[in-house]
Amino acid sequence: MQKVKIRYMLLFSTPAILLYTIFVIYPFIYSFILSFYNWPGVGPKIFVGLKNFRDILTGPFGAEFRNALFHNIYFFIMVSILELGLGFLIAVLLTTNIKGKRLFQTLAYLPNVISMVLVGFIWNMMLNPQWGLINQILKSVGLGALAKPWLGDPSLAFNTIILVNVWRHLGFYVLVFIASIINIPPDLIDAAYIDGASNFQIVRYVIFPLTVPTFQTLLILLFIWSFNVFDIVYALEGVQAGPFRSTDVLGTLFYRTAFGGLGSSRMDFGLGAAIAVLIFVMVIPVSMFYAYVIEKRRRK
Amino acid sequence: MLRTGIVARTIIYAILIVYMILIITPFLMIFMNSFKSLREIFLRPFSPPSRFTFENYIKAWKKANLTNAFLNSAIVSFASVAGILLVSSMLAYAISRYEFPLRRFLYIYVIAGLALPARLAIIPIYVILQKINLLDTRLGLITIYVSTGIAFATFLLKNFMDDIPVEIEESARMDGATPWTIFTKIDLPLIRPALVVVGIVNFVGIWNDFFFPLIIINSRGKETIPLAISIFFGEYSNQWQLISAALSMSVLPIMITFFILSRYFIVGMTQGAIK
Repeated sequence: MQKVKIRYMLLFSTPAILLYTIFVIYPFIYSFILSFYNWPGVGPKIFVGLKNFRDILTGPFGAEFRNALFHNIYFFIMVSILELGLGFLIAVLLTTNIKGKRLFQTLAYLPNVISMVLVGFIWNMMLNPQWGLINQILKSVGLGALAKPWLGDPSLAFNTIILVNVWRHLGFYVLVFIASIINIPPDLIDAAYIDGASNFQIVRYVIFPLTVPTFQTLLILLFIWSFNVFDIVYALEGVQAGPFRSTDVLGTLFYRTAFGGLGSSRMDFGLGAAIAVLIFVMVIPVSMFYAYVIEKRRRK
Repeated sequence: MLRTGIVARTIIYAILIVYMILIITPFLMIFMNSFKSLREIFLRPFSPPSRFTFENYIKAWKKANLTNAFLNSAIVSFASVAGILLVSSMLAYAISRYEFPLRRFLYIYVIAGLALPARLAIIPIYVILQKINLLDTRLGLITIYVSTGIAFATFLLKNFMDDIPVEIEESARMDGATPWTIFTKIDLPLIRPALVVVGIVNFVGIWNDFFFPLIIINSRGKETIPLAISIFFGEYSNQWQLISAALSMSVLPIMITFFILSRYFIVGMTQGAIK
């Protein structure tokens, strides 16, 4: 550590601090302020107090908001089970004495480097009810009865979106779990073998307990990410989150409210900001906890 | 390492191969369809294309405006990553090396950005960009990407710099080097691995981002690849052979880059998100 003239400190820190303050911190504060106003984006802002929040929570937008919120929570639960469960299992398979691990890992990660919205369009075609590959395969193996309008049936659409999401992200969780498993001291596993433990017992009583911190970190991240869902719904169902809003999430609701799109009942920056504030209030305690955890781990 | 017998290993290979098939099939499908005619897509879904012509590619490239899209994506991604690395490494250096009042506060102030999902503040961002005439410009996009990338980059780079002993700078300082020279000639080269990780994580994120271009860009000619494809998808849905060609062209560059640099990608993306 050194004492230097203040001007060097300013020279080094000013550009980043200015950009960060103007385009990250200030917009957040401004969102809170806007949420108390009605403002279509032009003209004067009208102060309306807590009316936007009442409209969203109990008023005319209540049903739409709760519907979207429910989908986010459902998404978080399903994706956590599928991505963490399958991710852990495949990671265990990929840390055994098999060959070709690197190739498997690389391919598993591949969907993660493709833009989410492009993944959505690719699956939009795979799932096309008339000629999409999924239904074609089902028909050709004699399971034509299972060929469904995956994205057009309100009872299937959201689960289909969740599965596409798993397809895109699973590789990430596989790799994170692999990194966590190979950090386990080999002695522990060797000792378990000497004690006569089976592979299943080693996974259950050695590997799993030692990867619990990874599960915890990933759960926190999944919670935050689950409230950010937007692209995949946009690509598969559009901003209207059809059919009949059965795939609506807070991200698409927020987009419709702030930036319009056909069929939105009211386009208003104030109302949009209020939705953003509500999402923020749900996510921020968790993300602050996450920032605290990684900062604490770093210091250890 | 778990030791498995031949039977268990066979089952493991079988599971992994099914998983790989599930990953590859969608890519294979768009690639196959990109050479077919619309009729072929409907009538012979499983057979390879009857001929390999680039007719669909040429048409899709023109109609989806991909020359512009690739150019825009490249400009925006490279400029943003360069901006993030520059301003964040400077800030990280100041926090890591200099002693000044409120140093700890400044660090926490910046790290707080890790907890703020930038998309939620899109309304004010939109309004600000409009006020300073950066709406619907690439510079506007770059400004937002740089600003929202600072928290994560500074966090990672500062921690990396903390591990470099200050003594390394001593001799240069004795020789009368300016702080700027010390920073660029001594410290930056030493944190190169961290710069690579931050660079890749941000590049992939920005190259693939759809949300900010969707909101900020609205004139044709300025759209990035995800936005261009999205517009094309809307205008030409039913022309599946063209959409397949456009999708193939837009996923190929990042795929090839990934296969070449997969080691860096994997370290960067997994470590970056967790630590």
